[in-house]
Amino acid sequence: MTMDIRHHPEDDLLLALSAGSLDTGSRLVLYSHLELCAHCRERMRALDVLGGVLLAEIEPAPLAEDALARTLTRIDKLDVTAVRMLKVSAPPPLPEGARWPRALAHCSATPWRWIGPGMRWSRVSVPEAPDANVFLLRIAAAKYLPQHTHRGLEFTQVLYGRFHDGRALFGPGDFDAADAEVNHQPVVQDGSECICLASLDGRLHFDGAIARFFGSLVGM
Amino acid sequence: MASILHSLQHAHAAYRGRQGRRVPALTVVPSDPERSPRPEDDWAGLLCAVAERQDHEAFARLFTHFAPRIKRHLMLGGSPEILAEELAQEALVAVWRKAAMFDPLQAAASTWIFTIARNLRVDLLRRRQGIEPLDAPFDFDMIEADEPAADERLHAARLSERVRSALVQLSPEHQQVLRLSYFDEEPHSRIAVELGIPLGTVKSRVRLAVAQLRRLLEG
Repeated sequence: MTMDIRHHPEDDLLLALSAGSLDTGSRLVLYSHLELCAHCRERMRALDVLGGVLLAEIEPAPLAEDALARTLTRIDKLDVTAVRMLKVSAPPPLPEGARWPRALAHCSATPWRWIGPGMRWSRVSVPEAPDANVFLLRIAAAKYLPQHTHRGLEFTQVLYGRFHDGRALFGPGDFDAADAEVNHQPVVQDGSECICLASLDGRLHFDGAIARFFGSLVGM
Repeated sequence: MASILHSLQHAHAAYRGRQGRRVPALTVVPSDPERSPRPEDDWAGLLCAVAERQDHEAFARLFTHFAPRIKRHLMLGGSPEILAEELAQEALVAVWRKAAMFDPLQAAASTWIFTIARNLRVDLLRRRQGIEPLDAPFDFDMIEADEPAADERLHAARLSERVRSALVQLSPEHQQVLRLSYFDEEPHSRIAVELGIPLGTVKSRVRLAVAQLRRLLEG
């Protein structure tokens, strides 16, 4: 699949992803971007290589004397026939052309729920991280999300359609990171609805009644 | 005379036999991977030996090099020594279990082992937040995206050598930023303290350090 992807995660995020220091929700959204973006996969590859180089150089910590023997014992006890299969749950229906990210293949999502005129959302449940705040937003053409700020980090990956948040236009495959400094109001472009995958590390702050209702849904 | 000739022919045949045979990977690697000019090739050979014939000696050498480093990695990341020891062993069990999935064209051995250790560290972070890991924790290796053809990419082991030499050309400050990013419990606040800069500027320092590294890799 070739896409005209214009918005990519910055290197500090990819580095944190490579180092393993991001929360699960953030990782899932970033992996959803990587699976569509060969450019970022190559960037990520160099960082993983860096991690390997640094690991190989790190000062060794002394191991227990029987560490190798114990490890070999554990290996002997391995059940080689146990092949784990991922359970793929049915994602909520997406319009043609929008693909459920493979990074979420093991996750389940609620049916679309109405949260306001032209606005629906679906909570994504992550089996290994029940606390992860990951959700899908589905906004009709020419509608907008209420003005909001964040206390933590909000990551967004566009699955379908386009929105403009006052700073730039975002389309399929695009990634966006917004932090506490950003107060934005994403507006979906005319002609097509927009579906985004988003993760929140921290609470979202909306203005207005619908917004507060929505904020109470996604704000944990 | 005949017996001398016979023994010469015999020796020659034995010599040809040695030459003609495909040399097993293990016989060409130096005994000490640390001293090899290309440690990646050695580690890759050892991983393949583990994958192809469950070679215990090859595994022991990988263990000796990587387990103590993974343990240090986890300790720097804030895990108590006993847990770090346990997880370092777990990481090497995973190396054994997954060795057949290792592809030297796709990843350098150190990269591949690093990602295994990294995924274990992610699990560890979750455990420390009081969240019980599931019986079968999710494994991002299983959703590996389609990659470009191998010939379009820089050979994995060569990329690793280039990163290694680019790293030492970076300023000490940039090197420190990268090391702390990988090996500290609270990388951003630690970088702020070590460099004496406001927390709010750490992100741009990290980006700068990575940009510098990429520039050296492209050059």
